Amino acid sequence: MKKTIKYLLISTAFVTCGCSDLLDRESLTTMEDTNYWRSENDLRSYANHFYETFFPGYGLEWDRDWAYSYSTGFCDDFVSEGTQSYFTNKVPTSLGSKSESRGCSSEYYGPTWGFGLIRSLNIFIDRLNTVAKNNIDEEAYRHWMGVAKFLKGFQYADLVSVYGDVPYFADVVKDDDPDTMYKDRDARGAVMDSVYVLFNYALDNMRENDGALFLNKYIAAGYISRFMLNEGTWQKYHGTERGGGDAARAKKYLELAVKAGDMVINSGKWSFDSDFKSLFASFDLSSNSEVLFYRHYDASLNITHAIGSYNGGSESETGVNLAFIKAFNCNDGKPASISTIEGANDFSLANLTKTRDPRFDACFYNKPDVNSSSLIYHYKYASKEALQYFEATHNVIKPTWYSDFNENDAPLMRLGEIVLNWIEAKEELALSYGGAAVTQEDIDKSINAIRQRPLDDDAKARGVQQTVALNINAIPEDPDRDSDVPALLWEIRRERRMELFNEGSRIKDLRRWHKLNYMDYDRNPDNYLGPWIDFSKEVVMPNNDTNEYLDKLIGVLTVQKKDGTRVTYDGTNASEMVGFYVVRNATNREPFSDRNYLAPIGQQQIDDYGQRGYTLSQTYGW
Amino acid sequence: MNSRKKLRHRGCLKDISEFLDVSRFVKILATVCILLSATLTANAQNQNLKLPSKTVTISEFFTAIEKQTDLLLVYSDVDLNVNSQVSFAQKEGKLKSFMDQFVKAKGIRYEFTTNKYIVLSRSSIQDNKNTSPDGKTIITGTVTDKAGEPLVGATVMQKGTKNGVITNFDGEYTIEAPIGSALIVSYVGYESKEVKATKNARIILDDDSQLLKETVVVGYAVQKKANLTGAVASVDASKQFEGRVISDVGRGLQGAVAGLTVTDPQGEVGSNPKMKIRGAIGSYEGGSSPLILLDNVEIPSLQVVNPDDIESITILKDAASASIYGSKGAFGVVLLTSKKGAKTDKVSFSYTGNFAWENLSKDYDVAGVNGLQYMLDCRAREKDSSHTGHYSYDGLYTGSYFRVSEQSLQMTKDWIEKYGSMGADDPVVYGRDWFYESGRIYGIRPYNIYDYIIRENAPSTKHNITVNGKKGNTTFNIGLGYLSQDGMFSTCTDNFKKYNASVKLETEVNKFLTIRGGMMYSTFNKKYPFLTESGSDGPWIYLYRWSPLMAMGYNEDGEIIRSAQSATMQAASQSQKTNYSSVNMGVTITPLKNWQIKADYTYYNKEYIATLPGSTLSAASYRDTPVVRRDANGNKIYVNNAGQVVSEDTEGAMVSYKLPYMANYNGADKPNLFKRNHENSYSHTLNAYTDYTLRLMDVHDFKFMVGMNLTTYDASSQYTQVTELTNFENPQFAFGTGTWTGGGSASWSSQLGYFGRLNYVYADKYLFEANLRYDGTSKFPTDMRWKWFPSFSAGWRVSEEKFMEWTKPVISSMKVRGSWGSIGDQTVSSSLYIPTMSTGFSSWIGGNGTRVFYVNTPSAISASISWQKIETLGVGVDLRLLNNELGITFDWYQRDTKNMIVPTDGVNTITYGASAPKANNGQLRTKGWELSIDYNHRFANGLGIYGQFNIADNRSVVKKFGDTKNLSDWYVGKEYGEIWGFKVDRLYQWDDFETDANGNLIYRELTAADTDDPNCIGKSSYILKPNADGSKPVYQSYFEGSSFHFGPGDVKYKDVDGDGKLSKGTKTTDDHGDLVKIGNSTPRLEYSFRLGADWKGFDLSLMFQGIGKRKIWGQGPLCIAGYKYSDGCMAAAIADNYWREDHTDAFYPAAMGMGSGNDSYNFMVNDRYILNMAYLRLKNLTFGYTMPYALTSKIGVDKARLYFTAENLLTWDKLRGLPIDPEVETGNTYFGSPQDRTGVGTPTFKTVSIGIQLNF
Repeated sequence: MKKTIKYLLISTAFVTCGCSDLLDRESLTTMEDTNYWRSENDLRSYANHFYETFFPGYGLEWDRDWAYSYSTGFCDDFVSEGTQSYFTNKVPTSLGSKSESRGCSSEYYGPTWGFGLIRSLNIFIDRLNTVAKNNIDEEAYRHWMGVAKFLKGFQYADLVSVYGDVPYFADVVKDDDPDTMYKDRDARGAVMDSVYVLFNYALDNMRENDGALFLNKYIAAGYISRFMLNEGTWQKYHGTERGGGDAARAKKYLELAVKAGDMVINSGKWSFDSDFKSLFASFDLSSNSEVLFYRHYDASLNITHAIGSYNGGSESETGVNLAFIKAFNCNDGKPASISTIEGANDFSLANLTKTRDPRFDACFYNKPDVNSSSLIYHYKYASKEALQYFEATHNVIKPTWYSDFNENDAPLMRLGEIVLNWIEAKEELALSYGGAAVTQEDIDKSINAIRQRPLDDDAKARGVQQTVALNINAIPEDPDRDSDVPALLWEIRRERRMELFNEGSRIKDLRRWHKLNYMDYDRNPDNYLGPWIDFSKEVVMPNNDTNEYLDKLIGVLTVQKKDGTRVTYDGTNASEMVGFYVVRNATNREPFSDRNYLAPIGQQQIDDYGQRGYTLSQTYGW
Repeated sequence: MNSRKKLRHRGCLKDISEFLDVSRFVKILATVCILLSATLTANAQNQNLKLPSKTVTISEFFTAIEKQTDLLLVYSDVDLNVNSQVSFAQKEGKLKSFMDQFVKAKGIRYEFTTNKYIVLSRSSIQDNKNTSPDGKTIITGTVTDKAGEPLVGATVMQKGTKNGVITNFDGEYTIEAPIGSALIVSYVGYESKEVKATKNARIILDDDSQLLKETVVVGYAVQKKANLTGAVASVDASKQFEGRVISDVGRGLQGAVAGLTVTDPQGEVGSNPKMKIRGAIGSYEGGSSPLILLDNVEIPSLQVVNPDDIESITILKDAASASIYGSKGAFGVVLLTSKKGAKTDKVSFSYTGNFAWENLSKDYDVAGVNGLQYMLDCRAREKDSSHTGHYSYDGLYTGSYFRVSEQSLQMTKDWIEKYGSMGADDPVVYGRDWFYESGRIYGIRPYNIYDYIIRENAPSTKHNITVNGKKGNTTFNIGLGYLSQDGMFSTCTDNFKKYNASVKLETEVNKFLTIRGGMMYSTFNKKYPFLTESGSDGPWIYLYRWSPLMAMGYNEDGEIIRSAQSATMQAASQSQKTNYSSVNMGVTITPLKNWQIKADYTYYNKEYIATLPGSTLSAASYRDTPVVRRDANGNKIYVNNAGQVVSEDTEGAMVSYKLPYMANYNGADKPNLFKRNHENSYSHTLNAYTDYTLRLMDVHDFKFMVGMNLTTYDASSQYTQVTELTNFENPQFAFGTGTWTGGGSASWSSQLGYFGRLNYVYADKYLFEANLRYDGTSKFPTDMRWKWFPSFSAGWRVSEEKFMEWTKPVISSMKVRGSWGSIGDQTVSSSLYIPTMSTGFSSWIGGNGTRVFYVNTPSAISASISWQKIETLGVGVDLRLLNNELGITFDWYQRDTKNMIVPTDGVNTITYGASAPKANNGQLRTKGWELSIDYNHRFANGLGIYGQFNIADNRSVVKKFGDTKNLSDWYVGKEYGEIWGFKVDRLYQWDDFETDANGNLIYRELTAADTDDPNCIGKSSYILKPNADGSKPVYQSYFEGSSFHFGPGDVKYKDVDGDGKLSKGTKTTDDHGDLVKIGNSTPRLEYSFRLGADWKGFDLSLMFQGIGKRKIWGQGPLCIAGYKYSDGCMAAAIADNYWREDHTDAFYPAAMGMGSGNDSYNFMVNDRYILNMAYLRLKNLTFGYTMPYALTSKIGVDKARLYFTAENLLTWDKLRGLPIDPEVETGNTYFGSPQDRTGVGTPTFKTVSIGIQLNF
């Protein structure tokens, strides 16, 4: 018995000794900050978590925040039935996010108030300096620091574009540092100067190539040209009340935009070898020579999106308006009002796709479609085949373009945008900041290079032609041109509107150009119209039963004749339903003002600061 | 084979010997038992006996008999000093020879009454049977216990004489005594009783063991109930579970103990009910679930235990009693003790079985035609662009898929008039039941989905067999259980099956060493239709989703129509299976009689396997455009409005359409896959402890204990999935042709604790206990891993004091208790302490064509974070009155969560860029009380009654929590669960509004002339009349929407603060406008009562359970009128009682669409439409009959009981007829989230069953 006790005591002692190890059971499935940052691989894995946040492309499945065609509809290109979507008209009660999500305010096509990503990037920068630096070589350090700084600049530039002044956090904010947490917004210029430094570091230090689909300095340069053009023109066109009006900054930023553009253009790595449609409706962009950076989708990996169904005919959408169509160049390089080609003033869809710049054919279906508010169905992000398939068989659509099973790649940064950023920055420098004048050679490298894109076979077969080159000595004189915009700049802006249609840049462009008044639709009645239609002949209804459909449109369907008179369908005058389609019940958006150039921040947040004895300033005008 | 229960165990011998020793004057008494080892021999008298020497004490002599034979000694009316010596002629010989010598020496008689008993008496039983010559009456009778079982060897004495007898094996006695004289009946372990002598009396003795000797399992020990000082409640498992159709221990415990809250938030069998001890919330971050232990080992789920294997349950409610279990016991402990082997040498079997039938516990009461009208009214209101307040129904339609218009609604009414109702077998016919017009499908016929998918009286059955016994020094218990419960779908085979098996074995190797071992196995499987990959909605939601127009059943051509019916019918059956097995072994060493060392080791392994097999779903689908029906020749088919085929030129003939049949409509969609999830976890537990008892100077009782407890836990899981399954008959990975995906996870944890306890009792009156535990856990970083947890409790048995002597007739016993203890809480996530970085595969595809691996941002943690501490202070009183028949226990407690981990105050999360890291800056205080009352009484005629009543209440209030004042957040002073909302004045009527000459409402922009409320000026609203005193009316325009303006029939909220504005202020405690506290979602005043009676073998018990106070703001279509009106389903209680111009005194407001909102317009959280979840439910009703022993014993059955039980039979609630079960919690379902709609999860069932219990 004594032996038994002895054994028991011994075994208890044994178990007791083993305990210290036994209690060391750290998480098996997560890393820990304290023992991470060991190698370049760790840095890459950390950087990888930013991609889907910063570069959503077409989104993921039904999650379409930031997705082209879904979050990009707030601009003067589109017209919806009923009242147009309106600008923010009151200070939100509360606004702000603590997460790393960028949110998406489609009114700005920008991020919502929050600094989660900044925290994550500041940690990246901090750990690179304090830990990783000792574990990796100098070249790797510089590259990853470049990546971190580029992304931090990216996020700040975007925040600034929405809110103007924002608090700038150079380092990781500590939870016991209220003075930093509750500091007021820093002036826009100061913030962008910091961003300028970040961007320069990225351009100087990032690798030229870090493997396909990973960030490198050329991709960064593409984005930097975008952000710097945005900020440079903001400084030019906006007064000090909205953080602009600083010529030195305007020049500095525009020069960086040109420098970044030069870096890409002069590298000779990218060219315009692809037709326009292929940029958006291809299943693999890896070999497209115009594309620097894209998001790849693959149904076999369950990585798909739903934009193809919003552009492929199975979902309804908001269509473009007649004003936009009229601004589109005919293939002689001139808008309809001054074009001399045959059919320049025929606004039926069948004619438009043939006579306009080929990008029209690539972006818009050539038949009226009731799935669109204006009957013009834009399908930039679906293949031509998608709509033809839909048309032929109606309810059955090819699964690739249906639901959220779409897997066409999303171009994120392409040469087409970079050359337009570059030429606009150059022209602005020339106009206002003593830059060298834009030459024919510059235009050939940019606008004319774009216009010489090959045509797709379908377009060729239907007689679509390339638009003639822009001649610096024969800039079209558009009678609709704003008097404060010189002719060449006007054409650069037009080219941009056509090239970047529905990619989210239009509303940002209107803001930086100080042209938000374009959003007042009453200034041009064409904003409420669709194409020229012969309703009973052209409009194909689901069920193949146009007559039955028409019955329901009694008193609703209206067309506008060339002379401005309107005819409404009364059940008997189907044959008279020929004219510009009047978008149903379309009325102007609620009034807005210059304060809408920048977003207000939440009242709750301002109050919170106040309660703690700090100040958070509201955006100018709010 | 009988009267097993009456035999006392070995220890009694000593007790009785001493008793006889010290109280010689008592002549009586029965006794002692013990049987042991050795095999039964045919003839007891011929058994051999061997003594250590020729001269032994009587005690040694008896012990030798008991040890070496299986005989039981019973003696009565003899006066023996068991310490006196007796000499025999030999050391070894026949038992009979020894007995003869013994009785001769002592001048008494003995008798071998059967093989098992030796009765010692002054005069033999037979002698007493003779009629007395002196004229005394011969009286006979029976002595039984409360359960009616005969007591063998009980003494019946005529008071004040030496005249006495003992009862025989049937408990019968025969004594000669004058009628009316006093008889004293006594039996060890029972209360003595004085009765008047009558012929053929039945005397029932009350068990006194539960009063004085009753013991309770507490942490690592068994404690006399009388000496308990902590807040401990015990449950007699057999009473609580016997004959009930409960699938698990948790559900069985509902209402059993004051302070233990068990909620069954959804009825799905196989899911764990929620258990909480003393309060709904423990802290801001952590959980508050009690630690559940089976024989001192934590179990992963109550599902793994068969209720029939449980012997007793103890609930440790306060820190003083729970702290011995360390930090996992911070919120109380539920101790389950399994059945051990028998105490006497025999093998007994018991069988219980029952058959049950289940139905929904609450009627399926959703809207019919009135609901359709409601839908139209909503739509009309939405479309009222003229803002007149008068709606047009012209050309109006609404609904999902099967629409309703004013015209179709009239057709529906006509249909009902003409056809009444149709059943699930009547086909859906075009023309009669639906029509297609203007590209839309309209429904006419109303369907009741209940008829299509619900199976009434779903059967379930349960069988348990227990084999329990003892052979020599070895005891064992074997339990087998089977439960099968069919689901309530009539369309598919959903069911739940559970099997349990357990073995327990213990053997006494020698007087120092006892070893034991056991195994337990449990497997249970839930099968249900596989409808979607995520299972997010579950099939039950469709019971509460669509309008009654949604077609179901088959069409004219015999094709099934797409619906919940077709889907559940065609879906393959997915299963969720759990296998649990555990093995344990232990040893008890008793080096000295007051020193014990125990060690137990347990290993368990739990496996969970979910299999999701794909299927093809095919049906005639309303989601596609209907097609024209054609005959064999391709000609269109025409029908009339009765659905009959007619020729084209018949009057009223219309082209007939049909819904296109879509084969495999889920095609590329998700159920077309095969998936398997697998999780495995295992755990080692080692408990070792030793205790030592010491009694000094006869009044100081000490008990010391030290021990250790070690637990490790490891778990891993993985899943594999393949899409595009090609073989649905035999779904296997081998037949998947699509994409493969998989993943997995792993976790581990461990805990080590050392504990010690000191019990000190002075003079059986003053009780004191101290516990100390030193606890380490892997959940925390090294520097805060170890922690001391002390606790103290004390008690005073007031009734034992001399000065209480006079109260004895009323107060049988009285004890006051107090305790204080502190426990660290480890329920919070360990990631609060460690900056973890989660990993995964991004949706970003890299250059090599695969998803990139990523590592996320480190979590934000505060460097200063530490444990949170749970401190409980409690006082209680235990009172037994009226001869112990009435018991009252009252407890008051206060539980503080100190150093509560809360978000660091003052962190600006937006600029900080993450949730505020947590720090120990908060405090929560829960105060509560518990009251239990029980009463037992048995009338002389044998009728026994008992009742038990429990009630408990508690409130949790935030004591510290930074500076926030947001009502939606926690703030200092907030009571947990409180609901803020508006008060409702009444519904607006037309009289409240200005109208124009045409009787239309006036709609225009409000100006400062209309209202002083700046939130309303500039908004367009209907113009209100001024108040009676001419003052400006209160406008609610700020809370309107673009298609909703407050008008007649809408809710008029109260301007509580009287400032002429309706406002929520800034929704802070300083500025909450007209918001006031309107209720609390925490269950309050939980009560239960049990009433029972038994008489002549019949027993009846009723168990009621209820909640006195609880309110919730409901969500979804069953409580929010117009929640998503186009879907169609709504509660009949709403559709039948909403405001219309012809029903202006309605309870619910005018129809309006809420756009899936739960807090706007007429349904901003308010006191009128808040749901009162108070209820009282007849949880269980049992009626049983035990057949007379005399009858059943002839076929070798000790006990045969037939019973009828009903669970959830009756419910009283205050839900105004809404089809919502009052026990539900919003958003809680077995099948994932029911879209956060209240009451649409699996419904609770009511069950009736019949069963049988057999012991033999």
